[in-house]
Amino acid sequence: MIRILARYSILFILTLLVLTILSFALAYLFPGDVLENLTGITPQNDMQREALMRQYRLDQNVVVQFVHYLGDLASGDWGYSFSSGLSLREEIGIAMPATIELSFYAILMALLIGIPLGYYAGIRSYSVSDKSINALSVTTYSIPVYWFALILILIFSLNLDIAPISGRISLLFDIPPVSGFILIDIMMTENIDKGLAMRDAFSHLALPTFAVGAITTASVVRLIRRSVIDVKNRPYITAARSRGLSGWRIFSQHVIRNALLPILPLMAIQITTLITNAMIVETLFSWPGIGNWLIQAIYQRDYPALRVGMLAVSTLVISLTILIDLFNRIIDPSREKYERATV
Amino acid sequence: MPQFSLYEEAFHPSPWHRTWAAFRESHIAIIGLFVLGMFVVFSVFAPVLSPYDPNAQNIDGLLIPPSWAMSGSISNLFGTDALGRDLFSRIMYGCRITLGSGLLMVVLAMLIGVSIGTLAGMLKGVRSSIVNHLLDALMAIPTLLIAIIIVAILGTGLVNSMWAITLALIPQFIHHTRRFVRSEAKKEYILASRLDGANKWQLFVHSILPNMTEMLVVQGTLALSIAVIDISALGFLNLGAQSSLPELGAILADGLDVAYLAPWNVALPGITIFVLVLSINVVGDGLRSALRKRMSQ
Amino acid sequence: MRYTPLAWLSLLLLLVVGVSACSKRDEHAFYNSGLVYCSESNPVTFNPQLDTSSTTSDATSHQLYDRLLDFDPDTGRIVPSLASSWLVSDNGLTYAFQLRRDVKFHTTDYFSPSRNFNADDVIFSLNRWRLASHDFHFVSGGRYPYFESLGLADNIASIKRINGYRIEITLKRRDSSFLANLATDFSVILSSEYGKQLMQQGFPNRIDQYPIGTGPFKFESYRKDHFIRYAKNTDYWRDITIAERLIYDITPRSSLRLAKLITGECDATAFPAQTELEIIRNREDLTLAEKPGLNIGFWAFNTQRPPFDNPDVRRALAAAIDKNTLLEAVYFDSATRAKTLLPAASWAFQNDADDTAYNPVLARKLLASAGIEAGFSMTIWAMPVERAYNPNATKMAELIQRYLKEVGIDATIVSYDWATFRRHLQDGLHDSVLIGWSADNGDPDNFYRPLLSCGAIPSGTNRAMWCNSDYDKLLDRALATDDLEERKAIYQQVNRLLYERLPLVPIAHAYRYQAYRNELKGMSINPFGGVRFGGVSKTL
Repeated sequence: MIRILARYSILFILTLLVLTILSFALAYLFPGDVLENLTGITPQNDMQREALMRQYRLDQNVVVQFVHYLGDLASGDWGYSFSSGLSLREEIGIAMPATIELSFYAILMALLIGIPLGYYAGIRSYSVSDKSINALSVTTYSIPVYWFALILILIFSLNLDIAPISGRISLLFDIPPVSGFILIDIMMTENIDKGLAMRDAFSHLALPTFAVGAITTASVVRLIRRSVIDVKNRPYITAARSRGLSGWRIFSQHVIRNALLPILPLMAIQITTLITNAMIVETLFSWPGIGNWLIQAIYQRDYPALRVGMLAVSTLVISLTILIDLFNRIIDPSREKYERATV
Repeated sequence: MPQFSLYEEAFHPSPWHRTWAAFRESHIAIIGLFVLGMFVVFSVFAPVLSPYDPNAQNIDGLLIPPSWAMSGSISNLFGTDALGRDLFSRIMYGCRITLGSGLLMVVLAMLIGVSIGTLAGMLKGVRSSIVNHLLDALMAIPTLLIAIIIVAILGTGLVNSMWAITLALIPQFIHHTRRFVRSEAKKEYILASRLDGANKWQLFVHSILPNMTEMLVVQGTLALSIAVIDISALGFLNLGAQSSLPELGAILADGLDVAYLAPWNVALPGITIFVLVLSINVVGDGLRSALRKRMSQ
Repeated sequence: MRYTPLAWLSLLLLLVVGVSACSKRDEHAFYNSGLVYCSESNPVTFNPQLDTSSTTSDATSHQLYDRLLDFDPDTGRIVPSLASSWLVSDNGLTYAFQLRRDVKFHTTDYFSPSRNFNADDVIFSLNRWRLASHDFHFVSGGRYPYFESLGLADNIASIKRINGYRIEITLKRRDSSFLANLATDFSVILSSEYGKQLMQQGFPNRIDQYPIGTGPFKFESYRKDHFIRYAKNTDYWRDITIAERLIYDITPRSSLRLAKLITGECDATAFPAQTELEIIRNREDLTLAEKPGLNIGFWAFNTQRPPFDNPDVRRALAAAIDKNTLLEAVYFDSATRAKTLLPAASWAFQNDADDTAYNPVLARKLLASAGIEAGFSMTIWAMPVERAYNPNATKMAELIQRYLKEVGIDATIVSYDWATFRRHLQDGLHDSVLIGWSADNGDPDNFYRPLLSCGAIPSGTNRAMWCNSDYDKLLDRALATDDLEERKAIYQQVNRLLYERLPLVPIAHAYRYQAYRNELKGMSINPFGGVRFGGVSKTL
């Protein structure tokens, strides 16, 4: 157990190191001036330039520069955005939670709907209901997420007028970002009608969550269904059946757990897809998350923002992936390291 | 030449024949294959089949509705866009670019992924563990992020976005190859050829690779659907193909500006991407279950 | 008793309905208390003195600030604002302004005024762009493009404080457009007391980022690419209805702005796209207001780069394109063809001015005689934002690209984000550019001088980089007289000169549109500059 933990922490640190090296290298790879790419500050004159060069150790060799860069990152000096001139740490501190919030609800939706549906389809495999669930999930899985979001907007916002299309909450509410999670921030804000604000926030959440969640749900359904069918064909199920155990007992005692285990590592891959989808959907719903922020940054060629944004998002994704992997190893140490379920 | 043979010969269908027989049993998979085939035909023969040049502007025919609409005309089957370009021709060329680049990326990712995966599968010990895990972790970076970084360094363009997607497609090939190589290496026939004195390279080319093709085809269709979705997403976000290049996602993004006036400019490219991806997925699913059936026989 | 449960149930039902009705009313009250305006881009600054883009003046001028004078939006006449009255001396050189009393500057978390508005604030604000010695002149870049392009600072001899509520401005030369210039969006009045306070604190830059003015709304917060949040100025001196909150929802995509207008997330939107006008007209819950605009969309050549320094080349390029097609395809007939810089709404409009015509044969001939061979390549810069005067520059560029191909020129289209685009334009990196100008007042000088005079090259409004001393002399002569007929005659000479030299091809004068929901009361188009939300309210 401790060995596993140690191995994973070493892995985590190594990965982070590679990522920081990458993000540091980006300052050199991006077009333009290294100093500006690294700090986001455009020096007004040569004197200020000299001073900044010294401050960021750019006059010394690359290793010293990198060590200094690490120190800056750790101390929270992530540089400034070209386009807004604001501290990148603050900007990411606002944008990141918005993406995490959206992804979290989407995952919640995918698990709450996807797991029961998947089990149902798996148990009733090759029946009509299984086939229709499967067809629905293949279809949903094939829809490009941005087009799906556009259709949702068309139906629910423009034609039925039941859900708003942009942002996290009506701008009339003045919610100062404290935690960055809108529902928590609403509870922490004074002088507003909290009930009204909550309702407003939920109506804003509905469509983007559904757009991101539907595709993940489809994947979860497919994964679980396949896994259940595989488990059903295992000898121990036949054995249990021959012992006369009822269908329900077989299901609750053997199938649920054993079908869930192999798909855990696949969930890690799903997270990457999910966050990509969330980032695309954000741009369509003007959701003030990290995806929207990064895409704005690329349109405006805001290199410092891209450098840090890349580091932040990849750190998030990789932490989650490694955590899920670790979790998986701990609850199921018998598994072969690279074994993965298939769809 | 005798039309029949006098003696009944034993016929052993090859594994591919058996897979095909299992595949054929599923009507949906056959329909999917047919639709996919149509897309391939459209893509290959787009210059011959398309009625107009996809970039030819026609000032007198801006935003003509599709032919089935009240005010549509048969001369522009899918109508025209805001610059009077024929949407049908654009979509046909769009399939060519989107599907073509998708295939190219999958083949490239497959080549790289299989090589790395084989190496990783043959490595042992701590080195293997570090390489594998690090690779795993780094490859979890979302495609969109890789694309954004590549676009920032090299600028926007179809080719640049293709690099990004290829990079993102590689890890799953690595995974599967690695797993496959590891599990195959334990089997007796490998041991047998090793005892015959085959070196690692011969082992790979003559024993492992032939057995891997099916896995690769299945993974390839999966990767192709991801590639098509991703390349069109990048086109849609203006990070990939630019609007003068008829790529399906870019056509859709173009249409967004006139979405209210000419909804078919958004609907038709979207439906095309959807049906294309759906047909790839249906064929992929069909292949997989056919393989599974064959294996369990 | 059998009816009791039923009675209880109905009582409960009544209660629920009552409560929800009550909260419904609260809800309406809340959503009606604020206005949301979908704007198209980020303001460059919160001080319109520093920037001529309409995004900046829409966001700030009439919301945060007041001017000495205003235009009456209906008649275009100059009316009192912070100056309650004014007198012009007989020689037309001295202007005396009597200032309004009891006008308070905004009280916010970052500033509480200790005194009312007075002459010091006027002098502080005017001197900021006029005098290089002013403490704040070089704060935030030190460029005042509107005033520089008109050469206004050079023409003011002195600004004198007579007493706390009276000032006198003396000019060097007569300028018949002087009062109009003081009424434009850019001549806003800042707080001198706030300036002093910031200077002491050592953050002079904040004067343009955390603005203080006398306008109907005060600044609360701003997040780039997301929103600007204003609150009601409860001490506003004019007796008009002001919404509790005013929010600018920054939405660059026009289709998204329309979508938000339809769902009611915005109450009004900037620049509805020409393609969307029909949809807005057809919807019963939306209003589309339109007025002929004071604007010009044009195709300017960088006359400092060969071969575009040759008027024959410019004429050839102008003859290669068909303006009517551009009008149809880009403006969807919501614009009139431009022959000169001036739109018909201006009093100096010349109906019989010369105009270039579509003639590719002539174009090829001119190009050949200028020594330009087939395959010559040039760039067309297309601005990345929508403006009334050019709602889709990229599309127009694509059309022009096709026309140029017919005369053997390969054009490439260049575009950057708006800030970079303007910076590169100012550096003169372009061969030609599709851009335009929205006037700030109806005076013809407001078109001719900023767009093509020598003085407007460094201030970055002369996109053709064209400098012609005859032209500048004519413009000066026009300003020296008050006789409209005489000025008109001079501007006709100017038009003739421009037709001969053709530093730019005038393309269109677009209508101005504003779309808003029917719940909004008191909205009107301000033909002389930015949108105004003072006096606008929302009722359901």
